[in-house]
Amino acid sequence: MKIIINSENLKNHKNYIFILQLIEKFLQEKGYQKIDLPVLSPVLIPESYLELFETEFKYFNKRKKLYLTPSPELFLKRLLAYGIGNCYYLGKSFRNNDLPSSLHSFEFTMLEFYKVKTNYMDIADELLEMLRYVNKKVKSEKSKVKIESQKLKINFNKWEKISVVQAFEKYAGISENELFDHNLFLKKAKKKGYQIEKFSYEDIWSQIYVQEVETHLGKNGCPTLIYDYPKEFAALAKLNPDGKTAQRFEFYIDGIELGDCYTELTDWKEQVDRFREEYLERKKHKKINHPIDKGFIEALKYGLPNCAGIAIGVERLAMVFLNLDSINQLKVINIQ
Amino acid sequence: MKINAGNLKKGDFINYQNDIWQVQKAEFYSPGKGSALMKTKIWNVKSQKNIDVTFKSMEEIEVVDVESRLMVFLYKDNDNLYFMDEKTYNQYQVLLSSVSGLEKYLKEGDKVYVYLYDEKPLSVRPPLSVRLKVIEAEDVVKGDTVSGAKKPVKLETGAIIMVPLFIKIGDIVIVNPETGEYAGREGN
Repeated sequence: MKIIINSENLKNHKNYIFILQLIEKFLQEKGYQKIDLPVLSPVLIPESYLELFETEFKYFNKRKKLYLTPSPELFLKRLLAYGIGNCYYLGKSFRNNDLPSSLHSFEFTMLEFYKVKTNYMDIADELLEMLRYVNKKVKSEKSKVKIESQKLKINFNKWEKISVVQAFEKYAGISENELFDHNLFLKKAKKKGYQIEKFSYEDIWSQIYVQEVETHLGKNGCPTLIYDYPKEFAALAKLNPDGKTAQRFEFYIDGIELGDCYTELTDWKEQVDRFREEYLERKKHKKINHPIDKGFIEALKYGLPNCAGIAIGVERLAMVFLNLDSINQLKVINIQ
Repeated sequence: MKINAGNLKKGDFINYQNDIWQVQKAEFYSPGKGSALMKTKIWNVKSQKNIDVTFKSMEEIEVVDVESRLMVFLYKDNDNLYFMDEKTYNQYQVLLSSVSGLEKYLKEGDKVYVYLYDEKPLSVRPPLSVRLKVIEAEDVVKGDTVSGAKKPVKLETGAIIMVPLFIKIGDIVIVNPETGEYAGREGN
């Protein structure tokens, strides 16, 4: 790995900073409180699909393990439980195990914002308004941002909304029955030519999602919102009354995933069960064994208000607004 | 030989659905939903077509034993590149469409590794770097130091690449033939 200086990216970088300023201006005008947070934590929320960066605090002969936070969620939800209200974090998050690429970096800039007394679809409305605001300011004649090519024309006045059930039916030919029944799903996948032996429903589901569904999203001239994921992918999202799906959406422009939103799970007992499953899953895959954030559960017990929140990779978002092909084109200093 | 898809890298040849494919791009990817995936772009040696395939990182993939043999580049025409095995003096032709633009950085007499499967040439392994002479270069324009930090020059093979301002006609530059990126200047 080395430090790469890309002074030729300075113009893109300035535009990226301008977009960050627009996002913050929008959120602050809407009454969201900006919060600055630590990036090192002694405990974390167990999330089976992530790998972490582990480090140590050393003092005299004492050592204490610390972890770079893969998201600010554990801090922000504590604050929500203690009544901070609508809030956001814009800063670095860290995820190990992803090779740097045009869309990935193990250290990336994340926007996470939460709104109380709302659900995921309210966030969808707020988000669309934010995208429209940024787009208008970036493309306005007075804007300092000069975009050279206009390969993408996106209409930010509406979402293309499609449920996960509809998307699997439409793009992968997998029916609703097949999608939720693990045996039927695996049978169908095998018939489609996927290697299923030794793999879980979640593994194959993700593979088909990436191979057959994701590439179609955000390709119809407006951003696509894909919603209601099977409960196996609920993470920290609240389940729908059907018991099969979670109130979670992701949004896409031009096949690129830009954000992930949940109506937040407020039931601490269910959260404890999910933590246990995620913990065992981490153990099974021999991932870094970090202490579990019990204070997070305490915060839920104290009472997390009904709320919804979204995490957005702002480098990817800026890349889309600036018609670039890679997040690396935004960076003046890059570690690769 | 079988390997996990997570270990695939650019240039590997694999057996996928009973055809031989070369990996053009392989990106490890944790989608945040289930375990890690390997997003690849693979190139079919017969049809010359690229497709995108997503593998599970732990999925077993059969890697095909393709021989790489050092050969001399002779010349190219509209469709093919021609190489000679210096030991046997046998000539081999490789389709231009299968070398992903590498032909822009090869000059006659260069030695490169040609991939063979059952004595049939498939493709060429790009060298890590090539050394080429600059034959056309504009003088530096004063002014904007940021966008002017690089300028285009023409190389002896006809390729045009971006280089730092101090490069002049006659310089030998080191280029990464896979990306066309300037990697340094020879000598001095």
